[in-house]
Amino acid sequence: MSGDAFTWHAGGCHCGGVRFEVALPATVEAQSCNCSMCAKTGFVHVIVPESRFRITKGAERLAEYTFNTRVAKHLFCAECGIKGFYRPRSNPDGWSVNARCLDSVEEIDLRIEAFDGQNWEANGASLAHLSREPA
Amino acid sequence: MTELTGHCHCGAIRVELTTALTAGELPLRACQCGFCRRHGGLTTSDPKGRLHIEAAPGSANRYRFGLGITDFLLCAQCGVYVAAVMPHEAGLLAVLNVKGVDLPGFEGRAPDPMIYDDETSDERVSRRAGRWMPAVFVETSPSA
Repeated sequence: MSGDAFTWHAGGCHCGGVRFEVALPATVEAQSCNCSMCAKTGFVHVIVPESRFRITKGAERLAEYTFNTRVAKHLFCAECGIKGFYRPRSNPDGWSVNARCLDSVEEIDLRIEAFDGQNWEANGASLAHLSREPA
Repeated sequence: MTELTGHCHCGAIRVELTTALTAGELPLRACQCGFCRRHGGLTTSDPKGRLHIEAAPGSANRYRFGLGITDFLLCAQCGVYVAAVMPHEAGLLAVLNVKGVDLPGFEGRAPDPMIYDDETSDERVSRRAGRWMPAVFVETSPSA
């Protein structure tokens, strides 16, 4: 199926110290979350399995922040503060990439939906499938 | 005068905006530069108001880019972009990231997109002198 075709897209922080690549289909389902953390960072979630994400530069420049259950590993560039990706609590086996940090979204049909992270306990499980590796 | 307060996610950097305006009367700007877009920043300022920024010891990182005349204040612990400050002859001037500190009263508002790419250094300082607000930035003393 053509829907299974992925293209690698590059992105990064502002200062250039951290770079990454993520493999995405032509149409990307993304979430805009209203939780206390995402609201402050404007994070637009593109959640992918482990195999579709790689850090290409600057892993050593990442600072880690955790709170509450400490399952989510919030990562940001220690220089410019940009949070390009992190390990989300909903998908600790995968990654959530920040659509705002992709070099370009022109070739992607980005469909952003609201996610009610303020009620995470009721909604978190609905995202679990997004990081599942293909069988 | 009202006081609008907020803080970064971990609470290490706290702000208090003193203004005669209501949140609804304050501007809300979406700068389109690469830094603000990546941080999802939406900013406000009241030139007749005052911003007090208080940071726990060692919690504020300063990031500079572009013309190099501005310190973007980032929380070293949680990464949140709190405010931008620029030294000026009249004192420190600032713009506050409403999103970064979750300043109350701005929910659901559509921001005004702003593009400042072509400004010279003089033009930028002049614009900010008219629009940004007087600010005080203090690092609190370490507790015993």
